[in-house]
Amino acid sequence: MALDLSMPVLVVDDYKTMIRIIRNLLKQLGFEDIDDAADGTEALEKMKQRRYGLVISDWNMEPMTGYELLKQVRADSGLSKTPFIMVTAESKTENVIAAKKAGVNNYIVKPFNAQTLKGKIEAVFSD
Amino acid sequence: MTQITKDNVANIVAFLEENKNKGGDVSLTDVMHLAEMMSGSMHEFLSKVQPAITEELTAIAREISSMKQEIAQLQAKDMTSNRIPDAGRELDAIVEATEDATNTIMEAAEEIMSADPTNFAAYHELVNGKMIAIFEACTFQDITGQRISKVVSTLNYIDQRVSDFVARLRIPDGFEAPVEETAEERRKRELILHGPQMTGEGVSQNDVDAMFPDSQSEIDKLFD
Repeated sequence: MALDLSMPVLVVDDYKTMIRIIRNLLKQLGFEDIDDAADGTEALEKMKQRRYGLVISDWNMEPMTGYELLKQVRADSGLSKTPFIMVTAESKTENVIAAKKAGVNNYIVKPFNAQTLKGKIEAVFSD
Repeated sequence: MTQITKDNVANIVAFLEENKNKGGDVSLTDVMHLAEMMSGSMHEFLSKVQPAITEELTAIAREISSMKQEIAQLQAKDMTSNRIPDAGRELDAIVEATEDATNTIMEAAEEIMSADPTNFAAYHELVNGKMIAIFEACTFQDITGQRISKVVSTLNYIDQRVSDFVARLRIPDGFEAPVEETAEERRKRELILHGPQMTGEGVSQNDVDAMFPDSQSEIDKLFD
């Protein structure tokens, strides 16, 4: 899978400032088409209406968490191949293992820097 | 003896009459007051029947009286009416201040990022102005630090009062009643919601990276 900077990216976070930070970092990396959602439910609705090339999601949100979103995406035949990166403050080993088992492509621990985000996006698309 | 008992019964009846309209709203203090009256009412009767029981009842009455004082010292009303709401307001103010500061800093950064650097003088002036705005926004740290100190002081106050109360109740270790899991606790357990960890407690990005090899060569290394 090649990295295409024109692909739409969906950023999912219930904290507006974090969406703004990730948006700005993605813009710096060259992405132009960036959409956002405030939780898993909104993200899933958007994903059913539009095909996103990448989802970057927080874990701890209400009502639907990023973990539940990931599992629903992987269970949906139309969405299951969407690259999914978790960006979260949940940094216990069991979280990383659970996300990996659920099919996450990569995992970023907050706080993170631009280089980490760039590296993980590149890693997902180099697989 | 009969006359004394009648008076005491009358006192208990009067107390119950006085509190009958409370419905289910009976406080621990009310119950203890009733227990105090009842144990007192039986005092003279039992002193003639069995002195050992009298001593026991006197000790119970003393304990109840002391417990009432402990409850009063807890100053629960002050905690629930003043200290806890005040701490909540301080925390709300901290969230607001950090959010305002973050927005100011981000707006400044966004304006610098989108500014036209070809006109150097204008660009220089803009960057200088925005840098000052960033420094000003960072003053939130001093105020939030003071607010956090107030919240910590409230938590220490509550901790001290409750710890003293528990110590005086002489509750043995391991006596805690089993607590039923709330819906929120169950959600946190099932969805693995731990929240941010303290430094050194969670896994680092390097630990995570080791679980997500970035390239085929790194995957291959795992099988060497």
